[in-house]
Amino acid sequence: MANTRVENWTHTSPEPSWWSQWKVRDWAWFAALTAAVGVILGLYGSHFGYWQFVVLGSWYGALLVAGLAWRPIQGATLAVVLPALFAVWLYSIGQTIANNLLLRDVLQGYAAVMWMSGLLIVATACYLLYLFTGSQRTGQWATALTWAGVIMGFIGLGVRWRETYLGHPDWGHIPVSNLWEVLVLFCASTPLFYLYYEKRNEARALGAFVMPLVAAGVGFLLWLTFAQHMDQIEPLIPALQSFWMKLHVPMMFVGYANFTIASLIGVGYLLTEHSRRRGSGVLLRVMPSAEVMDEVMYKAIALGFLFFTVATILGAVWAAKAWGGFWSWDPKETWALIVWLNYAGYLHARVVKGWRGQAMAWWSFMSLWVVSFCFLGVNMFLSGLHSYGKL
Amino acid sequence: MQAHVEGLVWRQPRWRLLVQFLGSMRLAVSLLVLLAIASVIGTILSQQQPYQNYAMQFGPFWFTVYRELGLYNVYRTLWYTAIVAFLVLSTATCVTRNSPRMLREMREFPIRQRDAVILGQDHWVRMSSALPMAQAQERILQVLRASGYKPRAEQKEGDIAIAARKGRYHRLGYFLTHIAIVVICAAALYNADVPVKWAEWQGTLRPEQNFNLPLSKIPKSAWMSPNNPAYRGIITLPEGQAANAVFELAGNGYLVQPLPFRIHLQSFHISYYSTGMPKDFTSRVILYSPQGKVLKTADVRVNHPMAYDGVYIYQSSFSDGGSLLHMKTYLLGASGAAPGMLSGRVGQTLQAGNSGYAVDLKNFNLYNIVPKAAVGEKATPDHPTLNLGPSFTYIIHNPDGQAAEFKTYMTPMRREGQGFFVQGYREALSDAYRYIYIPTGPNGSIGLFMDYLAALQAAARTGANASQAIFTKTFQGVVARHAPNMSAVEQSRFLQASMQTLMQLHDYPMPFILSLSSFDHRWAAGLQVTKWPGTIVIYWGCVALVLGIFILFYIPQKRIWLRLRPRGQGSEEFELLLGASADRNRLDFAKEFKRWTGTLEQALGVDHAEYKEHKDGQHTR
Repeated sequence: MANTRVENWTHTSPEPSWWSQWKVRDWAWFAALTAAVGVILGLYGSHFGYWQFVVLGSWYGALLVAGLAWRPIQGATLAVVLPALFAVWLYSIGQTIANNLLLRDVLQGYAAVMWMSGLLIVATACYLLYLFTGSQRTGQWATALTWAGVIMGFIGLGVRWRETYLGHPDWGHIPVSNLWEVLVLFCASTPLFYLYYEKRNEARALGAFVMPLVAAGVGFLLWLTFAQHMDQIEPLIPALQSFWMKLHVPMMFVGYANFTIASLIGVGYLLTEHSRRRGSGVLLRVMPSAEVMDEVMYKAIALGFLFFTVATILGAVWAAKAWGGFWSWDPKETWALIVWLNYAGYLHARVVKGWRGQAMAWWSFMSLWVVSFCFLGVNMFLSGLHSYGKL
Repeated sequence: MQAHVEGLVWRQPRWRLLVQFLGSMRLAVSLLVLLAIASVIGTILSQQQPYQNYAMQFGPFWFTVYRELGLYNVYRTLWYTAIVAFLVLSTATCVTRNSPRMLREMREFPIRQRDAVILGQDHWVRMSSALPMAQAQERILQVLRASGYKPRAEQKEGDIAIAARKGRYHRLGYFLTHIAIVVICAAALYNADVPVKWAEWQGTLRPEQNFNLPLSKIPKSAWMSPNNPAYRGIITLPEGQAANAVFELAGNGYLVQPLPFRIHLQSFHISYYSTGMPKDFTSRVILYSPQGKVLKTADVRVNHPMAYDGVYIYQSSFSDGGSLLHMKTYLLGASGAAPGMLSGRVGQTLQAGNSGYAVDLKNFNLYNIVPKAAVGEKATPDHPTLNLGPSFTYIIHNPDGQAAEFKTYMTPMRREGQGFFVQGYREALSDAYRYIYIPTGPNGSIGLFMDYLAALQAAARTGANASQAIFTKTFQGVVARHAPNMSAVEQSRFLQASMQTLMQLHDYPMPFILSLSSFDHRWAAGLQVTKWPGTIVIYWGCVALVLGIFILFYIPQKRIWLRLRPRGQGSEEFELLLGASADRNRLDFAKEFKRWTGTLEQALGVDHAEYKEHKDGQHTR
């Protein structure tokens, strides 16, 4: 009777050690990344200063871990890197946007960003449609379009990086130096992290809350492009000519992206709870359970907090190099501190006092205003050392 | 951190109550929020401006109120420092209070736990099985090992206790983060020159408010000690000069910090992008010992400070360092054939002959990059800007005490074949510049126009009326005398331009015009000199902070306790009680728990298992 079951239990090994979980593709990922680093070192290693090793090592480690923690990153990286390299190659053989249609309409940094904008807006519409109809097909389209938008966004940034060198080699810089460029980074990275939470929690309906803000970001980006012409490539002021920018800014945006996602899940949580109290509404049909939303909110804030802390510290180290003091009480710095204190309060309340539910969802939602002010408001309304992020 | 006490327990000694208050979570969260709100103030009100600006902005009453509250330099006020100090004290108390318990938990992990404790875990399950207990124990250990745990078992008085945990060092995250905060804040306080603040407060150190004193005249009460452990000062050095002290802004004045060496600015250099935007600022700096020995030579650039003996020197700004300007003065109405000469350095005030007019040389700009659209030229994407060349700014005071500010470009601007001398002027600093454009003659100077103006005025004195014919005739006379080589086209262009200029000159406030003929440019570099020995401590604090946050979030502590008991005397069956908790990522752990308890049920051949979830009728938190 029970014996038959006793005999076969050993075959169901519950949780093997981490490396034995690696599939062939993981090994391939590891090998490909390592090979890429090898090629880069072989080609340019002799010109590297210590900090270039630091930057390369950080990207290597981050991509490796991200790809193993979440396998779609592997394919997405390829989907970004290959077209971007192709565009760089086209430029290198003398093709330009004037004589190459593919460059002009798709791969050029500006064009790719426009593709990203379009795709993300359509994806947002699909998520909203999915929320109201519950159609699985629409939902799958929404996810696929978001992926496509994210990939186009990062292709755009990658190609633009190369374009900053074209025609004026001394201008070259990673494209995170002005408001337009960081807004592209924001519009591309927020959906990327969102897709992770969507997949991990099988919670597609959250997109109907997260993506409208991304679409609003895209709207702002388009306004900057067409009304302000901020998409022009410009050289870097002396203060920004530092390798710290390659670490400080992208990490900051990991924080911003996750905080934003958490805030909007907070909105979803509050509205769903409202529907639940009323006992009806479309939200009850498709939204994940309250505890899943609560947990995702916490996880996004935790990840964001870790990166925000690191990014702020890196910013302080950079400030010590550029401005002669690691903390100058510049408005941007001070608001970063305010964001940090706010989330430190949130995490203490949740983890230590065990607060859950509505209050925390409200906290998370209200934090959106603090974060937005830190990201955009400071540059619009206050002046200070971070004035290059200006409108 | 432990929860605070809800009801006060009398009988307790006062200090214990105080400690409980300081270490309470409520105080900590309140302080975090209070600090966040207090920090907002300094971002809304721009800090460390000259006091006159604030007085103008707020009026005398509120200016005084805000000054007393320290709102002009919020982050250095006593009350702001006090909030930070309170937070540090609270955090320190919390760490001290919780340390013994947490260290004990980290060190010891009891295998045997009371049933009540096991049932108090987030998850528990009760199963019974007919397997021999020794075999069951072996299988349980195997299942737990397969899940990555290192279980330990203990047999005593017929029953078996098994315990396992992961994330033993989770609590280390707590220590690292909280101690890091204490360390960072303490080091920052040290860096905020507490001794200086103390001396200022006591009155032994008084900021000097006159910014125009030479170093040697500054009273001793404004000098800080050369042994000051931390400082951050600014010095503006013209090329070729040296200094052995820096200035630190303090309230409405400044303090002087003597340096252990002399800083000599040998040269300053700016390089530009093709757009005209500055690309790099470089100061060639030599440090001398007080005895005159060269200590170090280095190029100081933005993002690349130089270090010497714990003191860092940064490239912070640049300005004119007293360029030598040679100017020509044209009297309106006198012949331009022999313009007067005037020479002086930027920053000086010159007397224009014995006319009673004084010229205050304010500034010199080597380049003036403007968008082409601003001067009416068509911009191309590749060349959107235009370099108008050197310019200088000056104020002229007339003998009656009236003044106007002028901005004059050195090189003539060409428009439609005609060169123009460009000069802006304004009679109040808040006004925008009004520009006059004076046509230049074949030799590139405004001499021809001045001759023409003088001739016109002479004609007017002899009774000629202002008709077109007179203008043309007078002009032809001037051309014949001073510029006989001008072509007819040039003449007509010049005459046309002159008509407009004559109208512009109506409102011109001074009786003469200065033009720049040559210059000897000299930069001054703004250098920041910093000594912050606490910085390295802060960096280590930051490392600890990040490591701690990582451990707290991503290395959760998971604990499992099991107890196997025979079902009564001589029974073949045994009962198993299993309890488990994780202190982070509880949803993930709930899944994990379900997975390996399922495996356990199979492994032990369990027919019936009673889970906490079934009993509570709800999911665990």
